[in-house]
Amino acid sequence: MPSARPDQIRQPPLRDGIILIVVLAVIFLVAPKVYGNQSLLLVMMTFVALAQGLNLLYGFTGYLPFGYVGFFGAGAYGMSILVLHAHVPAIPAVIGGGIVAVIFGVILGPLLRLSGAYFSIANLATAQILLLAVANPSLTPLTGGPYGLKLQQVFAPGAAYLTMLVIMLLATVIAVYFRRSRFGLGLRAMTDDRVSAEMAGINIVRARLIVWLISAAIAGLAGGAYAWSISVYYPDAVFGTNISVFAIVFALAGGVGTVIGPIVGAILLYALYNAIGITVPQYFELLYGFLIVILVLFLPEGGLSLLRRRGVDVL
Amino acid sequence: MALLEYAIIGGILYGIFFSLVGVGLNLIFGVLRMINLAHGQFIVLGGFGAWIVYQYLKLNPAFGIVLSIIGAIIIGYPLYWAVVPRLQKSADPEMLSFILFFGLAQMIDAAMILGFGVSQRSVPTETLGAGNIGLLGQTFPDSWWVAAAVAVLAILGLYLFLTRTRLGFATRAVTANRAEALASGIEVDRISLLSFVIGLALAGVAGVFIPFLLGSVSPSLGDGLTTTSFAIIIIGSLGRPIGTVVGGLVFGLGTMLMETYLPSWSDLVPYALLVIIVLVRPSGLLGRAVRQT
Amino acid sequence: MSSEALLELAGVVKRFHGLAVVQDLAFNLKPGEILGLVGPNGSGKTTAINLISGVYPIDAGEIHLGGRRIDQLAAFRRVHLGINRSFQVPKPFRGMTVAENILVAAEYGGGQPDQEQILEEVGLTAERHRVASSLTVNHQKMLDLARALATEPKILLVDEIGAGLNPAELNVVADLLLRLANRNIALIVVEHLLKFLNRITDRVLVLSAGRRLFEGTLAEASADPEVVAAFLGG
Repeated sequence: MPSARPDQIRQPPLRDGIILIVVLAVIFLVAPKVYGNQSLLLVMMTFVALAQGLNLLYGFTGYLPFGYVGFFGAGAYGMSILVLHAHVPAIPAVIGGGIVAVIFGVILGPLLRLSGAYFSIANLATAQILLLAVANPSLTPLTGGPYGLKLQQVFAPGAAYLTMLVIMLLATVIAVYFRRSRFGLGLRAMTDDRVSAEMAGINIVRARLIVWLISAAIAGLAGGAYAWSISVYYPDAVFGTNISVFAIVFALAGGVGTVIGPIVGAILLYALYNAIGITVPQYFELLYGFLIVILVLFLPEGGLSLLRRRGVDVL
Repeated sequence: MALLEYAIIGGILYGIFFSLVGVGLNLIFGVLRMINLAHGQFIVLGGFGAWIVYQYLKLNPAFGIVLSIIGAIIIGYPLYWAVVPRLQKSADPEMLSFILFFGLAQMIDAAMILGFGVSQRSVPTETLGAGNIGLLGQTFPDSWWVAAAVAVLAILGLYLFLTRTRLGFATRAVTANRAEALASGIEVDRISLLSFVIGLALAGVAGVFIPFLLGSVSPSLGDGLTTTSFAIIIIGSLGRPIGTVVGGLVFGLGTMLMETYLPSWSDLVPYALLVIIVLVRPSGLLGRAVRQT
Repeated sequence: MSSEALLELAGVVKRFHGLAVVQDLAFNLKPGEILGLVGPNGSGKTTAINLISGVYPIDAGEIHLGGRRIDQLAAFRRVHLGINRSFQVPKPFRGMTVAENILVAAEYGGGQPDQEQILEEVGLTAERHRVASSLTVNHQKMLDLARALATEPKILLVDEIGAGLNPAELNVVADLLLRLANRNIALIVVEHLLKFLNRITDRVLVLSAGRRLFEGTLAEASADPEVVAAFLGG
């Protein structure tokens, strides 16, 4: 007997989402007690959050933001300027960093009119513009110009670590929502066929903008917490193109459009980076460059698609 | 006034050269509908070629042009067959090729640093002529004039190839409509391969002059050159190799004017131009829509 | 203009690169009425459907639905107001199952359709779990129609649904369209197969080069020398 409403979006795995979030939280709460290098774990969480935030946009709408780091840097500078010039406490300032990123997202909203590679490259250009602007010597009084910023007065590595944990979990919760909700179903439809999605009654422009701003907020929050944790930084440390690059590679390697893919990709590859990449980063760069080429040619849906091909329903 | 004249004449020379920087990317995009995100890296490789020619072979760095063409053939053929046909058959060739060439760019970057180190390599500017050539009272080093002359020759050559030869005609047909070209019996694969190799060769040839126009060559230049090239070909309109000249001139003049009057913001020029152009006229200044967004 | 008209077009113009592909198009449609839209290739039939459904903006004129002007509204808003369509080359969500395709439209279309009944109606109940890309073209056409029906349209624009169907399949589709009209859905049916059209309606609008050439019954149309010339010439 078929039910009255056939094939509801496979709802029950909401449980999977809760399990995943608890596991992630436990891992990163326990890890600092086992493994002494807390700052490495923090950067790892930063990349999990960034890979997931990028996945929200690319995996669910098809827009690949090559300048994703622009939001990260905007969040870092937004947070720092709030602390330094408005004397806002650190945690509200991190939230402020997220808001600054969202404001940039609104300003850059028209980029969503572009598609494919045009969007990606224009987005990269906007991130470069932001970098060149904050690093410009004429803005030194506000941004520190090329000399960067110092936030020692709020330095609190433990609190920054927990804040980043919360941000990473928030990104994960949103990804679970995208995977399992009516909104996520609409996103899937939009990516599948834009015109038909409109003919199904979906307000594509609005849905896209919402995802874009959520994705911007995640990067902005992560940037704020990151700035807080390192407390002294140069413009390149929060606006470097390699941050976008890492987020893209990590998300693609695990598999975009899933929740677990970017998490697994970021944790494994960032660990690998630390094992082989710190002294001579070029070996790692060579490796992940090669990895991208191989993934695109043979596994365009990421590593986890190996599991899915065997019929495993990956969250 | 002298300042303005300097900026304008310099901008034109610089811009003509940058047309050459962008034109290979545009040819490949036009014919293959793929964005070679490693374009800047191939330019830098050309620059290192010139440096090697000068440093180790003790020859005039202009021989780097020959080296670039040979290099483009040696790299281009196997690279094309290894990735392009598979990409053409994929679900989203444009986006996937974009990502793939990005991975390739990372590999080339890493290999260049491992091979040459991160330091900047320069070639003495006298090797392309010790003097200065003046125009309207403004003088520029010989190397700038040589670079602009080579750019003009290369682009003129491409233009004649596209308009006067059978193969060039077929290339334009593929650019205009790949499916129709295929249906009318044109060997699209062969044309694509040829365009790919020519595109890489043009990048390498442009690279030979990078040590002269930018002062030195180093692996870190690649990404910036790709973005700049992209800005230039968007301004000139995508898929039209000759339109690149317009883009190059706009970029060259914009950069030189900014360097003259607002030097601390001149780095912004290519990025700001790119964003403005794609938002205002995604089809480029010469306006032929390449895609529906 | 009659007050009972559901859809009214007046002076609608569409140009592509300066060339008018639809010129001064005007007609009315009442609930439950079926209008056949015919004409040679390139006469602007599909463009007319794209203009009404909002896939393209119009360049001049007005389109009203139930007295409300809709030609400036985004396509999805027109869907919510009750306009939907099928595509000449069907466009289902290829990566989704049949049931999911219908679910999307049911969730977002602004109606509360009975999804089971729609599956039944278009004959896809047995295919419900199949991924749309694996369906035959004919089934994809039916799925297109089902996706449209799931938004509970008042007006359905059907673009060349008959092409490639055998006589038996054509009968099934004709019966389906007649049933929809009986439920007071107004239909605009673009069709080359005049015999098929003749089964479901006697009102046709003949377009030629973007202009209205003729409006009346199909029998009158086929007797009109201008119409005959346009078809032979096209």
